Amino acid sequence: MPPKNRKTVKKTVSFSDDQNLTNANIHSHGRGLGDDDTPPVYVRKSLSLIPFHLLGLLFWFLKYSDFNTLGLLYLMIPTQVAYLIFRFNKNTIYGKKRLRVNWLLVFIALGACLLLSVPCLAIIVLFGAPFVELLRESWLLALHCCFLTYPAVYDVFNCNFKVGYFKKYFISVVIGCWLSCIVIPLDWDRDWQAWPVPLIVGAYMGSFIGFAVGGYI
Amino acid sequence: MNRILYYVLVTLQLVAVFLFCGGFFPQKVVLKNVSEFIIDSKEQLAAKPVFDKLVIVVVDALRSDFLFQKDSSNFHFMHELLNSGEAWGYTAYSNPPTVTLPRLKGITTGSSPNFLDAILNVAEDDTSSNLKEQDSLLKQFHKNNYKINFFGDETWLKLFPIEFFSTYEGTNSFFVSDFEEVDFNVTRHVSYQLDHQKQWDILILHYLGLDHIGHKGGAKSNFMKPKHDEMDAVIKEIYEKTNEDTLMVVLGDHGMNDLGNHGGSSAGETSAAMAFLSKKLRKYRPSSIQQSSELPIENVDSSYTYLKKIEQIDIVPTLSMLFNLPIPKNSMGVLIDELLQLIPSKLAAIKVQDNYLQLTKLKPDYESDIQGKSSETLLEEMRDIQSSLAMAATNYNYTLLAYGTALMAVGTIVMSIMNFQLSQDYAQHLCISILLGISMFASSFVEEEHQIWWWITVSVLLLTNLSYGKKLVFLLGLRVIRGWNNSGQKYIYDDVLHTLLKSNTSMQWWLNSATFLAVGFPFLRNKSELEKIISLGCVTFLALSSLTYKVCFAIVNGDEVPQILHSLALKTCATYLSNDYAAEDDISQCLVPFARMSFKVCGAAAVIIVLLKYTSIKGSNTLNKLLSVIKFILLLQTSSANISMFLVFEVMTFVAPNISPILSLCLQNLTFFQFGGTNSIATINLTNAYTGVSSDYNIYVVGVLMFVSNFAPSIYWALASIPQSATQKSLRLQHYYITGTCLLIACIALRYHLFVWSVFSPKLCYYTTWSLYNTVMDFAITLLGTI
Repeated sequence: MPPKNRKTVKKTVSFSDDQNLTNANIHSHGRGLGDDDTPPVYVRKSLSLIPFHLLGLLFWFLKYSDFNTLGLLYLMIPTQVAYLIFRFNKNTIYGKKRLRVNWLLVFIALGACLLLSVPCLAIIVLFGAPFVELLRESWLLALHCCFLTYPAVYDVFNCNFKVGYFKKYFISVVIGCWLSCIVIPLDWDRDWQAWPVPLIVGAYMGSFIGFAVGGYI
Repeated sequence: MNRILYYVLVTLQLVAVFLFCGGFFPQKVVLKNVSEFIIDSKEQLAAKPVFDKLVIVVVDALRSDFLFQKDSSNFHFMHELLNSGEAWGYTAYSNPPTVTLPRLKGITTGSSPNFLDAILNVAEDDTSSNLKEQDSLLKQFHKNNYKINFFGDETWLKLFPIEFFSTYEGTNSFFVSDFEEVDFNVTRHVSYQLDHQKQWDILILHYLGLDHIGHKGGAKSNFMKPKHDEMDAVIKEIYEKTNEDTLMVVLGDHGMNDLGNHGGSSAGETSAAMAFLSKKLRKYRPSSIQQSSELPIENVDSSYTYLKKIEQIDIVPTLSMLFNLPIPKNSMGVLIDELLQLIPSKLAAIKVQDNYLQLTKLKPDYESDIQGKSSETLLEEMRDIQSSLAMAATNYNYTLLAYGTALMAVGTIVMSIMNFQLSQDYAQHLCISILLGISMFASSFVEEEHQIWWWITVSVLLLTNLSYGKKLVFLLGLRVIRGWNNSGQKYIYDDVLHTLLKSNTSMQWWLNSATFLAVGFPFLRNKSELEKIISLGCVTFLALSSLTYKVCFAIVNGDEVPQILHSLALKTCATYLSNDYAAEDDISQCLVPFARMSFKVCGAAAVIIVLLKYTSIKGSNTLNKLLSVIKFILLLQTSSANISMFLVFEVMTFVAPNISPILSLCLQNLTFFQFGGTNSIATINLTNAYTGVSSDYNIYVVGVLMFVSNFAPSIYWALASIPQSATQKSLRLQHYYITGTCLLIACIALRYHLFVWSVFSPKLCYYTTWSLYNTVMDFAITLLGTI
């Protein structure tokens, strides 16, 4: 979900020797960074960025789980944490440092995701989800969305709230959800058309694509 | 774009659509002449009818559960008869369009309906849907010298030549707000007819009250149970005063959905009740399902199938059989097998063969063969033929279809070439048009079009260049609108604002009052003192007269109203009637004058505003004031639980006063659906189509009022942002061209689709109506501009 305060984000940091290193990084990695003021945060391109576990989870969800949304959530949270620790985190460069996992922040970010699901639910309802009926399902969707962006949330914490740079990861989930709505009106009466299954699939796809190519954009 | 070319294209679009409609809704070709017995006619002619007299009681919109299900039914006498075996009950599938006129055609001729009939059901003056030439049950009865007496819905009198009926009286079916009188006018004849049974052989009664209650308050309205009691009493009276040689048929011409509307093809709308009643029936065995059930049935069936399911048109051959008449020529009905017990088995076999041969004549190239087939096999085969016949369509006029589509396509191409430009506006318009155009090919997207519009509107809103705060407020407003009414066929939510406001009347009326104030807001901005006084006078009259009318209308319809508004309405009525005191019953006679009064006040206010502009006072803010007057008219034409939706609109226009034409286009469509409209004729709202119209009404006035009451929010948003520049205008026209072309092609491609009558045809009608409005407004605004 796009955080509301992204307009007020600071675009520079105050480390004295930051600028040089960052510029060096830009040169060595060619493109994708600094459109105007060369942000000191970026994600290194690497195969290990691709969140294959999301595809696996999605396959299990659609094929074997009988669309068990809650079960999917229980499976997804630990795998997301593992993904963050083993793959994603080593590719995040902040200033001159390659960041290592801060264990405290791992748990803080988990709590933050849980809390963020409430404003996320509000946004989902605002965008047209059923309000009174199916509120539990809408909230589950919100939880899924929030925990799908969990690695990005962690980065935001670890990189002193560089939301501006990480917002593409949130937006990709939103776009995935928004595009997947299209199957809802169809009268095929399939189980996977039930609220919020299509949106969860969309969110996973969006998140997969977003996290896989996010480093390149 | 060239101005003349633009207006040529505007006109061309209408011409194309009308040409297409002319080809798409043709009259159906039917077999002429009156039928005769086909086989063993000597034996058949010699046979005696099972019954001497027939009483048909049509209760409009009598859904199957109203007669059979425990929680919804109050027909206690009927239940006793059903349990004792003196009545045989059925759930009768009535083919869509499920409105009265096509259904009556089905019940009497046994043929499949024609969509044009559904439209003509509304256009009452029309006589082209007459059954004078067509073979029907009534024609057969008339030919064989049965005396037919008829009391009830005057649709029957329009359908059949008057000479068929020896005594008759029609009641008007279109005063939807009347529950009592319309039925009393039928019932008052019953005792006399029953005391003078020699004066008739066939007695037909058609009651409309139950349908009116449905339209007004839905299937679970408080008025429903008393109406059931009333109908049950009528049935009891007739049943007890007739002998065992009289057959009585109680049936609904169609059902209704839970909102009380009908016209579409949902289970509720197509499941009508039917019951045969006679003392003779006790000696025979009813259907096996009825034998094993205890009426009223406790279980709720979501598909509304109670007892045995038959086709409604099966009544035609069955009645022909029982009265030993030839089956009408175009009948697609199949004999109901239990009732064959009533005639000798040898004759029954002949009747089944006769039905078989008659039915197969309707299917060209069908090899009919009765040799060595038992009655059961024949009946089964007939049911297959019946379902395949129901799928076969009418004959389209392909030349007109081709011309219409070709003109539309040419217009579209010219439009897109002329308009082409590399701008965001153009790209957005094109995306929306193409998205909608594609969606026209899927019946479920047409049914759920509100979802598409919601999706598009939110996307467009996020892409506009409003500030984040304004976007948020606007989106909040949109979300409230989305939660106001159910639309579409698929998702019906219980907790929508409409029902919430209906059950919480005081909140509803305070919001409504606030809406009437908010709409009059432009009158508060004036330049001089004198103008201020005049404006305030105008707006006070406008708000009071329209609010009083809406309150009176609500009271007459049995809705609760806050005490203070209630006494306001009563006092106004007392003043009008020049009495000291007015009771609730007096209000109904004030409705028509009050509504006319409100319209006159609106007219007068408009004239005053225009005059102010051109006199020495130099009135300011004229355009907004005129718009405000139009909004008062829209409010008058809106049902009370929807009025406060305009308050949300006002907030939205206050936040973003000059919305872009593309957002306005989205909102015109979105709000139409969230107002409770759908792309089905079932949701055409008739309750406000008679504002200020007395019983000798003019069909065109009613038509315009009906249009306004159904398209009120669309008109609101169309007026909120009138395209100024030629580019904006032609982009809007381009949208209707592209979607129109797709719709026409979809109609042709899917003309044999199962949903062609319930989805594509109504969509075409809505499209035509809205295009007509757009064209008229376009020309009107240009004219006003030049003056």
